[in-house]
Amino acid sequence: MGVYNMDYELTEGQKKLQQNIAAFCIKEILPGAQKLDEGPSEETFALMRGNLKKLGEAGFLSAGFDGDAIDLIDCFVAGEEITKACASTYVSARASVFMCGGLLKLFGTKEQQSRYLPSLLKGDRVGAVAYTEREAGTDIASIATTAHQDGGRWILNGVKDIVGNAPIGDLFLILAYTDGEGGSEKGMSVFIVEKDAKGLGIGDPIETMGLRGMPLSAVNLDDCEAQEILGQKPGEGFSQIQRILSMGTVGITSLSVGIGLSCMEKATQHAKSRKAFGRNIGSYQEVGFKLADMYTYNDLGRMLGIRAAWAMNNDEHEAHILGACAKLFSSEAATKIANMAMQIFAGHGYTKGTDIERLYRDAKFGEICEGPSEIQRTIIAKNELDKFL
Amino acid sequence: MDFTLTDEQKMFRDTVYRYGKEEIAPLCEEADLRGEFSFEIWGKLADMGLLGLPFPEELGGSGADVVTCCLAGEALGHAGVDGGSLLAWGAHTYLCASNIYNFGTDEQKRKYVPKLASNEWIGCMGLTEPGAGSDAASMRTTAVKKGDRYILNGSKTFITNAPVADVIVVFATIDREKKHEGITAFIVEKGTPGFSTGKPFHKMGCKCSSTSEVFFEDCEVPEENILGGVGAGWLIALSGVEWDRSTLISPFLGSSMYGLDLCARYANERYQFNRPIREFQAIQRRIADMKVFIEAAKLAIYRVASSKDNGQMLNPLQAAVNKVYAGDMGFAMASEAVQIFGGYGFMQEYPVERSFRDSRLAAIGGGTSDIMRMIVSRIMLM
Repeated sequence: MGVYNMDYELTEGQKKLQQNIAAFCIKEILPGAQKLDEGPSEETFALMRGNLKKLGEAGFLSAGFDGDAIDLIDCFVAGEEITKACASTYVSARASVFMCGGLLKLFGTKEQQSRYLPSLLKGDRVGAVAYTEREAGTDIASIATTAHQDGGRWILNGVKDIVGNAPIGDLFLILAYTDGEGGSEKGMSVFIVEKDAKGLGIGDPIETMGLRGMPLSAVNLDDCEAQEILGQKPGEGFSQIQRILSMGTVGITSLSVGIGLSCMEKATQHAKSRKAFGRNIGSYQEVGFKLADMYTYNDLGRMLGIRAAWAMNNDEHEAHILGACAKLFSSEAATKIANMAMQIFAGHGYTKGTDIERLYRDAKFGEICEGPSEIQRTIIAKNELDKFL
Repeated sequence: MDFTLTDEQKMFRDTVYRYGKEEIAPLCEEADLRGEFSFEIWGKLADMGLLGLPFPEELGGSGADVVTCCLAGEALGHAGVDGGSLLAWGAHTYLCASNIYNFGTDEQKRKYVPKLASNEWIGCMGLTEPGAGSDAASMRTTAVKKGDRYILNGSKTFITNAPVADVIVVFATIDREKKHEGITAFIVEKGTPGFSTGKPFHKMGCKCSSTSEVFFEDCEVPEENILGGVGAGWLIALSGVEWDRSTLISPFLGSSMYGLDLCARYANERYQFNRPIREFQAIQRRIADMKVFIEAAKLAIYRVASSKDNGQMLNPLQAAVNKVYAGDMGFAMASEAVQIFGGYGFMQEYPVERSFRDSRLAAIGGGTSDIMRMIVSRIMLM
């Protein structure tokens, strides 16, 4: 019946990318994962900078950024493999390249792209995007940071309270109200601010429960002089941030699946070798069936992520909904999987310094970042309900 | 990589959906309440050419690929056709006719497939026994060679379509010592002396499929009715698994899509506390979870179907993932649909009640969810 379209296989090029990144990360990134988990210090900041530099030099930071548009399938494949080696490194790389670099690639002028993008992709400089504030998370419209013009310059004032990469950041994209009258939709802009800009203050490092290797701090804007507005004109910040967050669901899915796969692989090995009452524990259904559930969740999460990426690459009508589904499913799957892995390792996974203990903490991030599960459900439900209004 | 359907596949799905909605779904509530096989619904499926969907045109079929077969099941479920009628359709087409088409001699194909594709005959398949469910290889039905005939003795149970079927593909062992390798498939026609069926069971759901035991008492079957050769039965039974875990699951996916449509409409129309219940987050949560389930299950089903179309060996992990997820979560979502409808959802005149009962089967039939997990964990631990 007709010519056939459907094909779930990764292309040869995507498979090759996957293999190359995996091999590289096992050798270069994995060994530092436990060290990075120690949390903020000059040493770990330097290690993270080094990781980004290594990934950049090997050409892997720019996965998905080679063409005119962002290829989210390549982004997904790379994200999953970097995460399997070290989730913190992926989140830091993603903040620099996908979030900061992505905004530049999608909305920057040609000059802005050629000025800032290459050094981010090479890992020579580190990017950060500052939008969240104490009183404004998902509800971006509630931000209090403002920008006003003074002569030819934009002057920013406000506090961004948790900004990934801020302690090691060279380039900041900062969301602020330019026009209180325009409301959120038309009144915000994203500003490009360099590290040494006057009035830019980086707060003390913030410690987190998981992804402890990701440098994090507040960014204080005290009459901070911005370089320029992202893109041509003011007033587009809200939609720019919304767009990158919507595409970002694919990256969070790759993070969640990467963590899920690590948990599953380690738990499977453990179930094969660990004995209880004269049998490998994997031969007990309570263990074996957990492994099966882990496999099922990872497999479905992965398909949803790649499906959403494909939909976004091809501008499908419901692409953003598929992205929300993928993030919601995979991030909730990751915490369940990490919990099951901990259960299988028991005391040997509860001990500080073990991989499972770290992954268990890392897994939580997906459910709460960039639109927590509650928000994803609201977005998905509204879309379905409105079809029958 | 490509997730799109061809234009032809899309058109076909739309046509089947509309037809199911207009011609079949209105008959389903009453048929389900009667709780028996509906020849009227069956005739409608036949009129649409759905009984012979995967078979070549020269055998009276439509030559559809596996994805298209899944689309038909999905579209009919989505249109509101009951799970029982679709189970009957699945067992007839994919478990009986497909096995004859895939493993039969030219003569067997020509004799049976056109009859099954045209609604002249109804087919069924007999594998499960009272003492052999998931552990099918422990079957006790025997076939003993006597001249150019085999004498079958034993019984099968939970056989979908048995009370209405004209022909059965049945599995028996020629030598229990040989275990899997002794299992052999036979084509047995209704009216063969020694072959009888029991009274239809009263089931929890999928009521418009008729299910009963079948009995073989010194039932003589000519040698030429062996399907696929002596000892090939286990292979044939396993091949049925591919259909079980794609085409036979697709109506359950469709039913979830139907449930989501019903719930979304109801949540907009139903007012409590002066506002439509869609505004309550507990309702939104269920709607969102249904949508996620549908998208994930769709990917899992069509991955199995398209890989079969693309000539790949069935990946048992992918098939099991599909079955366990569609089965377990499909029922959970059907339960959430009942919850959204509240008291109305508990009433038989609301289709979410029927879907709830029907969907329970997906985690049981064709390999239980427990067996799926067993398969996955065994492969992982190899």
